[in-house]
Amino acid sequence: MTQHKKYVIIVDAAKCIDCKACMVACKVENNVPEGFWRNEINVLGGEDGSLRTEFQPSQCMQCDDPSCVAACPVQATYKKENGIVVIDPEKCIGCGNCVTACPYNARYRNPVKRIADKCDFCEDRLDRGKEPACVVTCPTKTRVFGNLNDPDSLVAQMIKKEKLIRIAAPHINTQPNIYYFEGTQLLDWAVTPMLPGNINMPQNFWKSKSSSKEG
Amino acid sequence: MSATKTQMISRRKFLQLSGALAATTAVTNPYRVLYALTRDKGEITPDEIREVFSACDMCFNKCGLIAHVENDVIKKLDPNPNSLKSRGMLCARGNAGVKQLYDPDRLKYPLLRKGARGDGKWQRLSWDQALDHAAEQLDKIGKEYTRCGFLFMAGTDMQSTFVHQFAEAYGSYNVISHESNCLLSRNRAFLDTYGVMPTPDVLNCKYVIMPGSNRFEALVTPDSMDLMTAKGNKSKLVVLDPRFTKTAALADEWYPIKPGTDMAFFLGIAHVIISEELYDETFIKEKTFGFEELKEHVKQYTPQWAAKETEIPAKDITRIARELASAAPSAMVYPGRRSSDYEDSTQIRRSYAIVNALLGNWDQKGGLQVPKKIKPGSMHIEAPFYEDNPDDRVDAGRAQMMFDEEGSFKHTRDAVIEGKPYPIKGWMTYKTNPMQTGANRDKTIEMINTLDFMMTVDIAMSDTAWMADLVLPAPSYLERQDPLSAFLAASTCSGVITRDPVVPAMFESKPVFWIVKELAKRLDLGEFFDFTVDDFRKAQLKKIPQVAKALKEDGVYNITGPSFGIHKGKPFKTRSKKIEFYNTRYKDKGIDPMPVYKQPKTIPENHFRIVVGRNAYVTQSASTNNSLLWELEKENTLWIHPKPAIAMGIKNGETVFVKSLAGKVTIKARVTKETRPDTVYMDTGFGVLSKGLTNIFGKGACIAQVLEDKADKISGNMAMHETFVTVTKT
Repeated sequence: MTQHKKYVIIVDAAKCIDCKACMVACKVENNVPEGFWRNEINVLGGEDGSLRTEFQPSQCMQCDDPSCVAACPVQATYKKENGIVVIDPEKCIGCGNCVTACPYNARYRNPVKRIADKCDFCEDRLDRGKEPACVVTCPTKTRVFGNLNDPDSLVAQMIKKEKLIRIAAPHINTQPNIYYFEGTQLLDWAVTPMLPGNINMPQNFWKSKSSSKEG
Repeated sequence: MSATKTQMISRRKFLQLSGALAATTAVTNPYRVLYALTRDKGEITPDEIREVFSACDMCFNKCGLIAHVENDVIKKLDPNPNSLKSRGMLCARGNAGVKQLYDPDRLKYPLLRKGARGDGKWQRLSWDQALDHAAEQLDKIGKEYTRCGFLFMAGTDMQSTFVHQFAEAYGSYNVISHESNCLLSRNRAFLDTYGVMPTPDVLNCKYVIMPGSNRFEALVTPDSMDLMTAKGNKSKLVVLDPRFTKTAALADEWYPIKPGTDMAFFLGIAHVIISEELYDETFIKEKTFGFEELKEHVKQYTPQWAAKETEIPAKDITRIARELASAAPSAMVYPGRRSSDYEDSTQIRRSYAIVNALLGNWDQKGGLQVPKKIKPGSMHIEAPFYEDNPDDRVDAGRAQMMFDEEGSFKHTRDAVIEGKPYPIKGWMTYKTNPMQTGANRDKTIEMINTLDFMMTVDIAMSDTAWMADLVLPAPSYLERQDPLSAFLAASTCSGVITRDPVVPAMFESKPVFWIVKELAKRLDLGEFFDFTVDDFRKAQLKKIPQVAKALKEDGVYNITGPSFGIHKGKPFKTRSKKIEFYNTRYKDKGIDPMPVYKQPKTIPENHFRIVVGRNAYVTQSASTNNSLLWELEKENTLWIHPKPAIAMGIKNGETVFVKSLAGKVTIKARVTKETRPDTVYMDTGFGVLSKGLTNIFGKGACIAQVLEDKADKISGNMAMHETFVTVTKT
């Protein structure tokens, strides 16, 4: 099969029990420093003492039109042929443009490495034939991971069968590759992409130049 | 995405390596390991990578895991998909196991107390000095106060059996477990109804009522996962809980039941099922005892009556009873786990057991089951007889029907403080932390202060270790060889799991097996420990040799096969040989033979009832200092409803005093509708005394400090929901 892989995750938020297994698994697997996370669980409710009723895992959406890639001044962050958006640690200058450029709050600046960091679907594990740490460890198997370009994969079948939705960022459409089930009361965790210092840019700026490479 | 191939190769590698580990006495330099951990993944040749099976020990569940090891450093713990109990999952605590191993707060060498108890002044001892000292104290106390003058307490652990064996050889039958702070009244109730503690087949159940249990936070494998799978299969979940737990959040229906009235709810359910004849008559006739008495007994407990007690509408009680009955026998009252709540907690659980029997779910798919279990053998010792020992346990007679093999922490502590019926002057604890888990911490301190000698074997300086005279460092579960351990996995039957050292033990830590063996040698009891863990395992495997191969190849031995319909025609192990609605043994002992409802005590004005619970990333006091989990919860808070909070002017995040007859703490308030206006709550495991727990020292409050120590009358189980507190601004 010469066709490229296209990795995606489908999240059934109704199954999430907010146990934080995915967060700790990710943290250990990827050596994420204290105070930072590559993934998180967003909670519906809880403001002003209200009931928390739904839990929605999120992480880097490995967008097809990633605003973070557009924002990087040195092309350190780019989208690979397998669909994963990665950061080249040799090139990254740690400017933080990509951190505020991400509408999903999926990036942070790693204070130890002094470069940007985020979820890469555990590429190290994929190379060893293992699924991402957050996917494997989940008690209720809230996340389903797979190659969308493989028609036999569970994700390809689910995309066909289930009604799925994607989160919409304000201002731009980044074409995220994390899907949620229809009916999920998706939180408005997406924010307007900006450059550091709250600098708004025209829509066109966020069009990723490298995304045309993607198959 | 199958990883089986690589595991097979690594497994072979592990076997070679584990042999090498056993043969060498060299200890990996722990400081080098800790340093290596601070660095990123470097280039590693495949030779230096191992994948090793083990069993998690971050709580009692023993979930299967695979450790990914690079250069003898454990980099990651992943779930073992072969375990039918854990169903290929590892929770936050399981993932944080690496930080129990690589924790700078670990105990590194034996410590002897200098200065007053709890002052935190220690002297480093060599192992020889420490063991000589402990043996001397054991000998002295045994001679002066009889062997029963030394108390042993071991928590749930695969090596606790060796502590029990040591106590037996030494000659003390004062052995207690953690269970009297947990689930004994539940076990008592189901045993006294069914003659056995059945396991719930949540996976195939169509209608689950969960009173008080919080299975999506207090994780039990496989029930927690099975509950979600059942939910996906359109099973109905009804939760009764004064708190809006995450289980409540994901349930079909949640009722914030008035605390302490669950029995009224289930007697009301029984009333509807019986009066409307919604039961299976053949089942009742063939398998139960005392139906006519029950019928008469529950006539008084109408849904209207139950509604007044529980604050759950009568129409809902009636509807739920009918829904349950129509889903029967794949319907259940979930038996739950921790039942240490009220002074009649056994009778409350009897009402659960009785409704289950009315649903006829015994030995049924989606009901209460007793799956086939495998029993590893054991090494029986002929313990010496000590003539001067007293007649009975020190806590004997303080509860109506105590489990002798578990004892009661509350009653033992009272007996030690009173010195009655005989003095206890020595205490050994292992893998349990009663300073945090035993209600009324001041009383635990009082108990310790009556002792001549206390020794604690632990991984870190827990509050219990902090109060001890001698503290001995134990390795984590990832560094030691354990015996085999059988487990239950609900409807997937059962299995066996074990542990081998994934990495060599760090610092000077020694497993409790080695410790008691060394003590035995010094006490002329060496003959009772004339074996190795390997020998012990061989004895365990004697009648089940097939297990060894599975453990090597899959990291777990699972028994599958039908878990229901396997007890047809077999008598129950009760006096009547049937399921007992009416218990004649209870009657003989002056105990209500059927659960009689008594109203919970009225909450005094300006007071709240405080309740105990858990979340999914804290195993009480055993995990709160773990730096990965600590990041998720840096201190506990007091859950209080906005209504009383506003009335008292308490704002979210504000520090408050919480005071009971047992003690007083300060804690930050979490103002939330997730608890009833009359009920407050805090997580267990904070407000520590030990300065050796550097992440959480000085953070939050210790619930054991405010909980009063009431007990269930029948089982002697602690009753932790009987405490009323005031909450005031600081």
